[in-house]
Amino acid sequence: MAQRITIDPITRLEGHGKIEIFLDERGDVANTYFQIPELRGFEQFCLGRPVEEMPLLTNRICGVCPEAHHMAAAKAADAVYHIDPPPTAKKLRELLYSAFYVTDHATHFYALGGPDFIMGPDAPVAERNILGVIHKVGLEIGGKVIQARKAGHTVVEIIGGRKVHPCTSIPGGLTKGITEEQRKEIEDMGHWAVEFAQFSLKLFNEIVLGNKAYVDLILGDIYTHRTYYMGLVDSQNMVNFYDGQVRVVDPNGKEFAKYAPGEYAEHIAEHVEPWTYLKFPYLKKVGWKGFVDGAESGVYCATPLSRLNTADGMATPRAQEEYERYFSTLGGKPVHQRLATHWARLVELLYAAERWVELATDPEITSPNFHAIPTAKPTEGVGVVEAPRGTLTHHYTTDERGVLTKVNLIVGTTNNYAPISMSINKAASSFIKHGVVVSEGILNRVEMAFRAYDPCFGCATHSLPGKMPLEITIRAADGHAVKVLKQYC
Amino acid sequence: MKDKALTVEEAAGPATGQADVLVIGLGNPILGDDGVGWRVAQEVDARTGRADRVEVDCVSVGGLSLMERMLGYSRVILVDSIQTGISPEGAVCALSLEDLRNPGLGHSASAHDASLITALQTAKAMGAAVPLRVDIVAIEARSCHEFSEELSPRIAAAVPLAARTVLDLLGT
Repeated sequence: MAQRITIDPITRLEGHGKIEIFLDERGDVANTYFQIPELRGFEQFCLGRPVEEMPLLTNRICGVCPEAHHMAAAKAADAVYHIDPPPTAKKLRELLYSAFYVTDHATHFYALGGPDFIMGPDAPVAERNILGVIHKVGLEIGGKVIQARKAGHTVVEIIGGRKVHPCTSIPGGLTKGITEEQRKEIEDMGHWAVEFAQFSLKLFNEIVLGNKAYVDLILGDIYTHRTYYMGLVDSQNMVNFYDGQVRVVDPNGKEFAKYAPGEYAEHIAEHVEPWTYLKFPYLKKVGWKGFVDGAESGVYCATPLSRLNTADGMATPRAQEEYERYFSTLGGKPVHQRLATHWARLVELLYAAERWVELATDPEITSPNFHAIPTAKPTEGVGVVEAPRGTLTHHYTTDERGVLTKVNLIVGTTNNYAPISMSINKAASSFIKHGVVVSEGILNRVEMAFRAYDPCFGCATHSLPGKMPLEITIRAADGHAVKVLKQYC
Repeated sequence: MKDKALTVEEAAGPATGQADVLVIGLGNPILGDDGVGWRVAQEVDARTGRADRVEVDCVSVGGLSLMERMLGYSRVILVDSIQTGISPEGAVCALSLEDLRNPGLGHSASAHDASLITALQTAKAMGAAVPLRVDIVAIEARSCHEFSEELSPRIAAAVPLAARTVLDLLGT
């Protein structure tokens, strides 16, 4: 009797996806499908608009990382106008972006990824959330998380003009700079953020690395894939979120490609599957060989784990120490174990906080030279940043007035569509076998496979959920439901 | 900033001198009918005449960010699109927060955040000034996956009724 299991977390609060698991007649996993609903018509919506509107429009695509879209769009608009913003403009943008990273990575660790470890993967689903974490670890941790978010939002507001959806980046730089008083406020919050990041790493060290069962889970084969990795690096091959070249390393950690953002189309192609509207990016020069690991498969991954694998190190001292500890503990580079992404994310959290302080204390940061007026004729440009969830590419073409004629985006999570699908399949195949009762704990272990990627479904919509959040229906071959599991209390 | 445990109120810092009641239009203003919450909130803002005790805002956030926006008000009214798939398109309904099942409990249900209910429970557990009452005015929508600044005719026609519903809740 063939069975079908659907994990269908329908919510419009932060995007939604659906996992379908098909079982064969023996009760083993026959196949899995991870479907992401695509928002339609964005390119058409943009065409005919001035390119300088894009930093405002694109940050409405996604409710999770509008700051990333704002930056990628601003950089693409710079490129369209062939303008190199002054150093102060670049530093202010990167400062805003570093503070955003602290907010975003902290939210993932404490609200989403961390609860699996802090509460345990078998904890009742109602407790595997930030509320459970606070009850277990202590109320003060909630205060720290909220304070980290508040600090990040404040920096975004000071430099970006408003919280969450910044509006100050334009072609050639920014519409405003910061005062010495604002700089000092930002610096103070940055020092606190460094301590918070160190606290978070200490917590991970104690709760996760101090628990042999968790270490075994992380290092085990179930959550491991040997793929290519992608990430932005600076001129010294250090991790950089805002600028640099795209570097790709092979499954052995050797540099496979390094290119300027504008050359992305020579390196990335997209594969189409009939069961989903979303495309699967892959390395063009390796080729699409299906959902498989290895050097012969063009599947690549772009996540915190990928960025650490891709770079030669971190550009700030404390993060570099943590980077070295991370690789020495996990057996050297590259790290293929996907659950280690949670740790990599915290190393990046510390880097972002340290970079925040570095930039806030840069002598040029309060300079009034935060904008260069574009004078060249606009044509075409590509802007790339590292979104928390992966390399984010914006590519615009305009007419001579700067009016958009073509728009192409490759968003962070899309890069990881193939590896996420592979991770779900491997986890499902490992945990769901003939004779095994499909429990909530087992399904959570399948979800952990994709939660490590911090997937964002590119959706800023907020319609209230009309259906239950997580429903697993096991269907017989004739289509009738033989069992329904509901993942809520 | 001092390194001490802050209460969520201290950390999130509600604005001083703020109104008692907050009306929030939720949604994405460039994603078709998903933007209906903004339109309704804007109409409420125009009709309340910016009364001192009522503040109106439009945001595109959820979960923790939405909770943070709600702190310090005694009462919040959320206006949003809803997709039950059962009610007719454009139908307006008033709900309480408790009427919604907690989508965050499924965990994967939230791609990157806590659900609003979990976020509010978290804030409450920390002693924050969460609203004593949260009402939701929801408009049944279908077309929320296609980029557009326009509402479809049935949704646009529902805006006055939804605004009236909010005003009734406000006792205005």
